[in-house]
Amino acid sequence: MNRHLAAAALLAALSSPVYAGPPDPADPLASVMWDVLRPELFGTAPVQFDDRVTVTAPDNAENAAAVPVMADATALGAVEEMVLFADLNPFPVILRFQPLAAKPVIATRFKVQQATPLRAAARTPDGVWHIGGKLLDAAGGGCTAPPATYAAADWADHVGEVQGRAWAPTGEDKATRVRFLVRHPMDTGLVAGIPAYFIEALTLRDADGRALARLQTAEPLSENPGFTLEVQPAAGARSLTLDGRDNQGGEVKAAIPLPWVQGALP
Amino acid sequence: MKRLFRTCLLASAMAAGLGLSGPALAADGPGNDDLLNDAKSTGDVLTYGMGPQAQRFSPLDKLNPDTVKGLVPVWSFSFGGEKQRGQESQPLIHDGTIYVTGSYSRLYAVDVKTGQKKWQYDHRLPEGIMPCCDVVNRGAALYKDKIYFATLDARLVALNKDTGKVVWSKKIEDYKAGYSATAAPLIVDGKVITGNSGGEFGIIGMVEARDAETGELVWQRPTIEGNMGTLNGKDSTMTGVMNASWSGDLYKTGGGATWLGGTYDPETKTLFFGTGNPAPWNSHLRPGDNLYTSSTLAIDPANGDIKWHYQTTPHDGWDFDGVNELVSFDLKKDGQTIKAGAKADRNGFFYVLDRTNGKLLSASPFVTKITWAKEIDVKTGRPVYNDDNRPGTPVGAEKGTSVFAAPAFLGAKNWMPMAYSPATELFYVPANEWGMDIWNEPITYKKGAAYLGAGFTIKPLYDDYIGALRAIDPKTGKIVWEYKNPAPLWGGVLTTGGNLVFTGTPEGYLKAFDAKSGKEVWKFNTGSGVVGSPVTWEQDGEQYVAVVSGWGGAVPLWGGDVAKLVKDINQGGSLWVFKLPKA
Repeated sequence: MNRHLAAAALLAALSSPVYAGPPDPADPLASVMWDVLRPELFGTAPVQFDDRVTVTAPDNAENAAAVPVMADATALGAVEEMVLFADLNPFPVILRFQPLAAKPVIATRFKVQQATPLRAAARTPDGVWHIGGKLLDAAGGGCTAPPATYAAADWADHVGEVQGRAWAPTGEDKATRVRFLVRHPMDTGLVAGIPAYFIEALTLRDADGRALARLQTAEPLSENPGFTLEVQPAAGARSLTLDGRDNQGGEVKAAIPLPWVQGALP
Repeated sequence: MKRLFRTCLLASAMAAGLGLSGPALAADGPGNDDLLNDAKSTGDVLTYGMGPQAQRFSPLDKLNPDTVKGLVPVWSFSFGGEKQRGQESQPLIHDGTIYVTGSYSRLYAVDVKTGQKKWQYDHRLPEGIMPCCDVVNRGAALYKDKIYFATLDARLVALNKDTGKVVWSKKIEDYKAGYSATAAPLIVDGKVITGNSGGEFGIIGMVEARDAETGELVWQRPTIEGNMGTLNGKDSTMTGVMNASWSGDLYKTGGGATWLGGTYDPETKTLFFGTGNPAPWNSHLRPGDNLYTSSTLAIDPANGDIKWHYQTTPHDGWDFDGVNELVSFDLKKDGQTIKAGAKADRNGFFYVLDRTNGKLLSASPFVTKITWAKEIDVKTGRPVYNDDNRPGTPVGAEKGTSVFAAPAFLGAKNWMPMAYSPATELFYVPANEWGMDIWNEPITYKKGAAYLGAGFTIKPLYDDYIGALRAIDPKTGKIVWEYKNPAPLWGGVLTTGGNLVFTGTPEGYLKAFDAKSGKEVWKFNTGSGVVGSPVTWEQDGEQYVAVVSGWGGAVPLWGGDVAKLVKDINQGGSLWVFKLPKA
């Protein structure tokens, strides 16, 4: 047992309920899941509902299998980790994101099972989680329908393929926008007869291998998930690399050229 | 208290934020010495075969012909899902956990005391896998903190034994070309050694060793003469001599799948891998001995070089396949102890070889009817063929002359492993009595398509039984006792120091026999056919037995006339655990 687990277990043994600090502010989205998710996701760390963390998504999901969402915590300044989650999904956590040399902003698509609060939490260096969110209405069923990928008999040949593009840096912070799509069925394991099969980790790296952004991805991400990030590679880097793996040991490996840098394109 | 509380707050905040880091360090699992000692250690079952030599013998003796009546079920665990089919697995037991594989490339870890599931891994199989003979898996391999198993899409997967998380997954071969993998991997000196399946598709049989830690390939040994082996990423030595026993390009599609995996003899530091049938089945298309198909290969685990070979069916024309396991044992004969190995071949002969050099010591029939050969000449080591029992060559587009041959292509003994008792000095062989009409047809190779060039149908030889569990004396080749079973036997055998022999039947029973007399002394119906391999171990002073239940395998798919005898057996998928409670 590692030290953290030991400490957490000791704490649980000492006191119940787990969180003994000042009372939490009321959940502005009045979610029935908040009391469950609060200790699960944030343990005893302090939380704040904070408008500086924005979640942009449609009010009503057109396609329950691929709901676009953008979470932006840039207004907080330095952020160590972000968590994107949908309270009423069977697997609430959509992804975790460490913006190591990246802005704390991420856009992706995910599957929604029913109307739910959709939230982003961002942890600042002082250990406080800042939480923003909105209500998402949805007809639902996104997590328990088989992916459309399987209509193609050769789907298995393309698992792990990456399409990616980067845009030249703009603005004061000179961040480089990167978007990539990874082909993967992202099975939740909730469809009868289809095992859980999803990408669980992705790392975007600079040319020298230094991690710019780490993603811990989970079941609710849409099939063939796409991600948009804003990263800060070293000056002169000609390409970024993306590596990752799925829960069955399948590997993702791709290079994303930075075409405005001389020599980036072959 | 306050200070402690603050520390805790900080620590759990870190834990919550540490979602990206790995799990706590896994407990150490069995090392190389533990695996080599598995036949003697009674508190666990660490290897497929219950020891690297695969004698499937346990010295445990609390259970014996008198006490076995007290053997009762403790719990049963369902493999679940909609996926059933054949369960041909052998459980492994280590440190309070049973690891067992199921059909459709599934792996389970179950608490040995309660039957409660710890974790489950369901491999996502692509469409278009081509297992010839049901979607089975025969077992996993444990080494240190990992557990390994092969999948139907011809991959080898390593998982953390405590969490079930995949550590690595490596492609063995291209499933679209007909490759698959069903055998339990073998661990020797930190290498995971695997065979491959797909002998009906014109593949190349291969034995491969990978680094157990990383999954990186160390060496490859193709089984077909003329193909090049590799060592550390470079060409090593060619298997045999190009075109010596294969004409033209036929060696590129020669078959010889190592689909049953292998055994290891620590005394001679040798791997023994059986090789499957040559491709295509139609032997007239491939003149020559077709080395090294239908053979046993003795391989050096360090570099993959072949030390010796023994071919049981040269120029195989009946799909006799030679994949059956070679079991190392001490042959005590005429006051001498010979390092021997025994193999009950699909072709109906029970071979005893000198395992240091592959020289034939004896070969005797272990089924009642063998039509394809009169005998095996001990001097030359070769069969004396009945030439008129080889199915005829096709003329133009017409099929060739059909013959009735015995054993049938499903073999006098198929995959199901036999057991050897050093206590009784007998082998216990799960045999089947059947023959076949077989004829040849024209065929050309096409990637991913069946490459047989033969037609066939299996017929029982007797009205009252097909299966026969036989006790064979390796000194004489004589059958000491037999148990006859109505349906074909398709499960592995276990024998114990308590003078017992266990095996399962398609009718659903796990049965126990007196190892000396063959008298049936215990049975229990598991609810579906038993085609897995039973194991035994000791825990908290009590002797346990476990077996998987779930009817399937090749018989219902390929059994011809026999398939209708077994068509009413219901499918299943469960692990049964029994024990003899303390008095």
